[in-house]
Amino acid sequence: MTEAMAGTNKEEAVGKSQTLMVTLTIDGRQVTVSKGTTVLEAATQLGIHIPTFCWHPKLKPLGACRMCYVEIEKVPKLQVSCATEATDGMVVYTDSDRVKQGRRAIIEFILLNHPLDCPTCDKGGECELQNLTFEHGFDDSRFDFVKHRFTGESVTTTFDDIRIGPEIILNRNRCIHCYKCVRANKEAFGEYDLGAFERGNITEINATPGEQVDNPFSGNLVEICPVGALTNSDWRYKIRVWLTRTTPSVCNFSSSGSNLMFYKEDHKNRIYRVTSRRNDDIDDGWLADITRYGYQIANSPERLQTPLIKKEGNQVPASWDEAIAVIYKRFSEIREKKGGVCIGGLAAPNLDNASLYSFSKFLRKVFHSNNIDFRTDYAMLPGKPDSLFSKLCSRLFRISNIDDSDVIVSFGSDLVREHPNEYLHIRKARNFGSPKIFTLNPYSVKSADVADLELVYKPGTDEAVINGICLAAIEENLVEPQRTSRLSEKLVPSTLTETAALCGVSEDGLKIVARALAEGAKVTFLIGELVTQSQARETVAAAVANLNLLFSLENKGQLAVLARYANSVGAERLGLMPSPSEAVTKELASLWGEFPDHQPHTTDAMLALMKKEELHGFFVLGANPVMLCPDREFVKEGLEKLDFLVVCDLFETKTTALADVVLPLSSWAEYAGEYVNLEGRVQRAERAIKPIGQSKPGFEIMNTLAEKFGQKLFVSEDEMASEIERVLGVGPSVEMPREFLEVKASTQESNDAFPNPLFVVDDPHHSGHLTEKSTSLANFAGEAYVEISADMAASYGVVGGAPVRVESEVGKIIVPAKISEYLDTEVVLIPRNFSATTVTSLLMRKRRIDWVKISKVDE
Amino acid sequence: MFYSPVITNAAEVASSDRLHLFRYVEDPDQSKVEIFEAHGGYSAWKKALTGMSADEVREEVKKSGLRGRGGAGFPTGMKWGFIPKGSSKPRYLICNADESEPGTCKDRVLMERDPHAVIEGMAIAAYAIGCHQMFIYIRGEFNHCIDRINAAREEAYARGHLGKDIYGSGYDLDMVVHTGGGAYICGEETALLNSLEGKRGMSRIRPPFPAVEGLYACPTIVNNVETLATVPHIINRGADWYRSMGTEKSTGTKIFSLSGHVKRPGNYEVEMGFPLKKLIYDPAYGGGIRDNKKLKGVIPGGSSTPMLTPDMIDVDLDYESLADAGTMLGSGAVIVFHEETCIVWVALRLIRFYRHESCGKCTPCHEGTAWLEQIIRRIEQGLGQPGDIELIEEICGNILGRTVCPLGDAAVMPIQSAIKHWRDEWQYHIDNKKCLVKTNFEFQ
Amino acid sequence: MILTEASREQIREKVSQYPDRKSAILPALTIAYSQTGYLNDEIYREISQVIRVPHVEIAEAATFYTLFPKLPVGKYLIQVCHNISCALLGADSLLAYLEQKLGIKKGETTPDNLFTLVTVECLGSCATAPMMQINQDYYENLTGEKVDRILEELKAKA
Repeated sequence: MTEAMAGTNKEEAVGKSQTLMVTLTIDGRQVTVSKGTTVLEAATQLGIHIPTFCWHPKLKPLGACRMCYVEIEKVPKLQVSCATEATDGMVVYTDSDRVKQGRRAIIEFILLNHPLDCPTCDKGGECELQNLTFEHGFDDSRFDFVKHRFTGESVTTTFDDIRIGPEIILNRNRCIHCYKCVRANKEAFGEYDLGAFERGNITEINATPGEQVDNPFSGNLVEICPVGALTNSDWRYKIRVWLTRTTPSVCNFSSSGSNLMFYKEDHKNRIYRVTSRRNDDIDDGWLADITRYGYQIANSPERLQTPLIKKEGNQVPASWDEAIAVIYKRFSEIREKKGGVCIGGLAAPNLDNASLYSFSKFLRKVFHSNNIDFRTDYAMLPGKPDSLFSKLCSRLFRISNIDDSDVIVSFGSDLVREHPNEYLHIRKARNFGSPKIFTLNPYSVKSADVADLELVYKPGTDEAVINGICLAAIEENLVEPQRTSRLSEKLVPSTLTETAALCGVSEDGLKIVARALAEGAKVTFLIGELVTQSQARETVAAAVANLNLLFSLENKGQLAVLARYANSVGAERLGLMPSPSEAVTKELASLWGEFPDHQPHTTDAMLALMKKEELHGFFVLGANPVMLCPDREFVKEGLEKLDFLVVCDLFETKTTALADVVLPLSSWAEYAGEYVNLEGRVQRAERAIKPIGQSKPGFEIMNTLAEKFGQKLFVSEDEMASEIERVLGVGPSVEMPREFLEVKASTQESNDAFPNPLFVVDDPHHSGHLTEKSTSLANFAGEAYVEISADMAASYGVVGGAPVRVESEVGKIIVPAKISEYLDTEVVLIPRNFSATTVTSLLMRKRRIDWVKISKVDE
Repeated sequence: MFYSPVITNAAEVASSDRLHLFRYVEDPDQSKVEIFEAHGGYSAWKKALTGMSADEVREEVKKSGLRGRGGAGFPTGMKWGFIPKGSSKPRYLICNADESEPGTCKDRVLMERDPHAVIEGMAIAAYAIGCHQMFIYIRGEFNHCIDRINAAREEAYARGHLGKDIYGSGYDLDMVVHTGGGAYICGEETALLNSLEGKRGMSRIRPPFPAVEGLYACPTIVNNVETLATVPHIINRGADWYRSMGTEKSTGTKIFSLSGHVKRPGNYEVEMGFPLKKLIYDPAYGGGIRDNKKLKGVIPGGSSTPMLTPDMIDVDLDYESLADAGTMLGSGAVIVFHEETCIVWVALRLIRFYRHESCGKCTPCHEGTAWLEQIIRRIEQGLGQPGDIELIEEICGNILGRTVCPLGDAAVMPIQSAIKHWRDEWQYHIDNKKCLVKTNFEFQ
Repeated sequence: MILTEASREQIREKVSQYPDRKSAILPALTIAYSQTGYLNDEIYREISQVIRVPHVEIAEAATFYTLFPKLPVGKYLIQVCHNISCALLGADSLLAYLEQKLGIKKGETTPDNLFTLVTVECLGSCATAPMMQINQDYYENLTGEKVDRILEELKAKA
C-alpha cells in the first residue's frame, strides 16, 4: 500500500467516526468512552462509584473538594478524576491504598470545623458527609482545638441558623465549601441572590447583602447542598428521611412534566416533600419552586372533604350518593326539557388523561353535547378545527434539542414565569456552547438576561415583528430571491421600515435576528403565552407560518407554541374541545359509534349562551372560571343564570361558591395518572397517598355518574386505557402551509384615558389557581400586586408595597405596587393566582390589549 | 532621591557589559521617556516590530533560554509557543506585577525606577504572541509603582510607542493598567486571570491552560515583570549573548532580593550560578550577618522554598543547583536569619501568612493551613503536645501535591524543611515549653 | 448617593477600557475607597449600578481582598508588615512601639479618629525592613526617631 493510499484510508476512517473514542483501564476493567470524557464519568459507566462533594453532573467541574482522587499510572501525584480527561491507554486505580489515604485526609480536613449537629440536623440520613465519613473517614478526631463558629448579626436561633429567604435557612458552620449552591445559582439559574464572601477558611456563603434568596429555583439549592448548611422550612424538623417512602411522579403545575419524587409517610397519609428525579431529557434534575413546593396543596387543611349540596341557599355537606342523585335528577330534567346540548362542560388542563377522556366521553355520549372545553384563561378562542394556530400548538418539540441549538428565539414568552424548565435549558445552551439567543416580547423580561439581543415591541403588534423579520431577510438578501418576492406582496405593510416603525423595533435588530435564522444550522423557535393569549392568535400564526416557510425552520430545528399546563397537550389530543381536529373526531366517532353533530361552543361562547339563558347546565371539573376567565362580571352573570351547576375541585373557590353541587376532587398525588408534556411525551405519575377525605379522581366521578345515567363509559380500566392510547396515537396534524399567507399587521390601538397595557401573568412562584394554598409558595408571594417599572413608580410617587389603584373601562382594584427589575415601559403586570384579588374584573373579552390606568391611593 | 531607599548594585551593573537590568536604576531621570530613549530604550521594540516577524521574536527568546522570573522558572519562549495557531480569538499578554512573595521586592525597583523598560518588554512579548491589548496587573499596595507605570504609559502613547499603527507598521497595541485588591493568591496565574475578570481571586483547575483558555476564555500569556524587562535586551544583543551568561540551563542574570539578618539587605542583579555564600557575605553584596552573629538558616527563593542550613549554603544560585540541594530558586528572594532566631517562630510567621492568603477553594489548603497554624502556634506558646511534630508532618503530606494551585505546596515546603533540619529544636520547644533561642528583635 | 459624579465618571472610564465590564469591579472599588476611605453595602450597590453588573459580584469581590476595609477607619490607616523579613528586623517591636505611642492596640483607632493601627502581610519592601504603609505611602527603613517624626508630620497635616 503506497503512502498516498494509506493517508486516504486514514482520512476516511477518521471522517467516518464522528467522535474519537479512547479506551482506558479502571481498577483492572477496560472501558471505551468518547474523547473529552472525564475519568469520573468513565468510572461511572463501569459502575464504579467515586465519592465527590463538589462535583455535579450539570455544572462545570470545580476540583475544589479533592475527594474524587484517583491514582493514575505514571503520574506521580494523585489526580482529581472529575477534572482529568480520560486518555487512551490510561491506567487508573480508584481504590488503592494511596487513594484511600488521600480520601481519609480530605474527610479529616472537612470535619475539623464541622459541628456535630447530626442528631438534630435535617440532612441526617441523606447527608453526603455522613455517608462518606462512614465509608472513607477516620474513626477518631485528632483536632483538639475549638471549632470555628460563624457568629455575628442575624444569628437568631439555636445552632447558629439564619434565615436567608422565605424558605431557606443557612447554617454557615456546616458549610464544607463545595460551592455548588453559588455555582448552580449563578450558572444554571442566572440568579444573584447568593454569594461567597471573605476568603480562606472563613469563606462564608450567604445571601447577597440586603437581599433574600427567593428566586424561582431556590429550592434546588437546598437539594444540592451535600450537608445541612442549606435547609428549607418545608422539611425542617418534620420527619427523618428514613421514615418516609418515595413515589415517582411528575409536576402538575407546568407543561414540562419535570420528574419528581414524593416523600410520603403512609400512616399519616401525608406527603412531606418533593425532590427531583433527574430526567436528562426533560429537567436535568432541576425543579422550579412551583414544582417542588406545589405538592403542599394535597395535605392542606382546607381541602374539601365531602360533597356539598346547596339547600335553601346554603351549601351543606352531603354524601356522595345524595350528591350523585341530585346531579342525575337535575341534568336529566334539563336533557328532557331543553335538550342535552344545553349542558356544557369545562375541565382543567392539569387533569390526567383518564379524567379528561372520561369527561369528554360522558358529555358527548350521555348528553350528545360538544359544548366542552379546557381553556379558561385564553381571552377568546375561535375554536375552528385544524386552525393554523392549533397546528402550531401541536408541533413536536424536544426539550433537549434546545441544548445544542445554535439559534434560539423566544417569542411572546416570559419564560421564567411560563416555562422555567425551558429557560434553564436555554441557559445551559449558553453556558456550554455559543448559540445566538434572541427574545421578542411586548415587555422586557428576566429571561432576556441570557439573550444576545432583546427586542421589545409595542403590545398588540406581535405579527408585525414576525413580518419585520421576514422583510428584513428579503431586504438583506438572506434567502433565495425567487422565494421571497411573493411574500412581500402578501404583507401589509410591505416594507421593513414601515413595519419596524409600526411595532416599535429597530430595523437593525430585525436584521440581526433574520441573519441568525438564515445562517443557523439548528434553530429553536419557541412561542409563548403572551402571544397565544391574544385575540389575534390566528393572524400571528399566519405570520409565523410565513417565517417558517421562508427560513425553512421546520427542516432545521423546531418551531412550536409551547403548551401551558401539565396536560394541555393531552387535553387537546384527546379532544377536550368543542371541535377537535378532524382526525381525532374521526377516531372518537369510530370508537364510540357516534359523535354529536351540532354547533359547538367554546368556554367563552358557552358563558355567552348562559347569559342569554340558552345553556342551562354546566359541569366544571377542576377549573376555576370565575377566577381565571376574563371579565369576571360576565362570567359570574352567566354562571348565576344556569339552572344547574356542578363544580369539582380540591378547595372551595369563587366558582364552587356558585355551585348547586360541589364535589371534592383528588389531587394528582392521590391517584395514578398519565400526563402528556409539551413534547408529546406520556408520563406516569404514581399514587403517593390515599385520596383525602371523600375526594375522588375525575375519572371515577365521571364513571360513577355515567353508570347512574345507565351508560357505563368503559367495561374495564384496560378498555379505558386502550381507548386513550388509540386516541393519543392519532397524533396531531402538523402540516404547515406550503404557500405564503396574507398577514395584515395591526397597529397598536392607543387609549389616552387608559395608557397602560396590562398583562395578566403567573407570579414566578405560582401557577393557576391552586398554588396559593401551598404554604411555602405563599411565603414567597401571598398576595396580588401590580408590577410596574421603576420610572413609572417614581413618576407616580409610589414606593414598593404602597397601594395603587388599577382601573380599566370595566373595573378597578387596589393592590400594592411592586417595583420591577425588568419592566421599563408603560406595561404593567398583575398575577392571576390570588383569589382575594379580582384581577379579571379589569379585563374585557373582545380586546386585543387590555388597557388600564394607574393612580396612587392617597392615605 | 528615590521613593524607596532600597540598596541596589546598579553601580556594578552600569560598569558591566553583561549585567543589564539595573544599569540605569540609580538614575532619577530614567523613568522619563526622553532619557529612556536616549539610553537606547524602545530600540528593541522598534527592531522587533519593524524588522522581525513574531515567530522570529519567539525563536530568539526561546533560544536565549530565558526562564520565568516570577518563581516557576518555565522557559519563556516555549510558553509563548503554546498559543494555539489558527485561533481567531483575541490574544492577551498580562504582566504579573503582583509581587507578594515574602522576601521579594525586586519588581518594584524596575517599575518605580525603569518603568519604560517594563512597558517595552511587554510590547515585544505582546507582538510575539499576536496580542493587541496587554494588561499589567499591579498589586494595589504599590501606589507609587502604579503612578509611575501610569505616567510612563501616557508618555509611551504620546511618543507613539503604543497606540495605533506603531512606527507605521500597521500594528496596534493598547495597554491597560489594572490594580489588585490585596491578595497574594492573585500572583498565581489562574487566580490572576479570575481577579482581572472581576471575580474572586480563586485559582482555576488546569486544563484548560491559560495559553489556550485564559483571560475571557481567550489565549493568554502571563509573564513576570523581570522576565519581560529582560526581553528587550535579548532582542537588542541576541540570544547568544544572553546564553553566554549564567549556566547552560539557567541562562542570563537574575535580580536577587536579599533581606533579613544581613548587613546590606537590598536587590542585587547577578549572573545565574552566582554563589549563594558570596551573595550573603561579600561586602559588595550582603556584607555578612548583622551584628556579626552566626548564620542559622537561609530561605533561598522566597518564603515558599525549603530552607537551607549553614552547611548547605555552598551552592550556586541557579535553578538546577538549588533543586539538587532540595530547594528551589523561586522568585530569588534570599531571606537570612541568624542564630538568635527561634525556628518555630519563623514557621509560625510563614504559616500564618499562607493561611491568611488561602483563597478557600480546595479543602486541603484552606482547612490544612489553618490547622497547621493552630498547632504551630500552640508549640510556639509553650503548649505543644507530644506527637505534634508527627501530626504536622502528616498534615503537610496531606496538603503537598493535593491542591489546585501551588499555594498549598508553598505553605508546607518551608514547614517541612524547618522540621527536617531543626527537629531537635521543635522537640525542645514541646518538651520544655519554651524557645531554644530567645527571639527578640528590636527595631532601632 | 455616596459616590460623587467624579468617582462615577472615573469608574465609567475604567469600564470602557476593558473588553468585559466586569473587569472594572476591582478598579471601581479602589476608586470608591480612595474617595470615601471605607466601603459598605450601599457603596457596593452604587458601584453595581454604575458598572451594571449584579450587586453580589461587587460584594463577593470586595470581601475577598484585604484593601477594602468594611468598617470606618481613622484618617490615617497604619499598616505594619509583620511577615518574615520585617519580623526578623523587629516588626513586632515596631508594632509595640506604635501601640505605646498611640495608646491603642492593634486593630483599634485612636479616640481622635486620626490613626487606625493594623498588621498586614508582606508589602514587597523586604530589603528596607522594618516598614509600614500609611494610606497610600510606604515608610521604609524605620527607626524610632523616624516613626516619631512621621507621626508628628501626619498629626500636623490633619
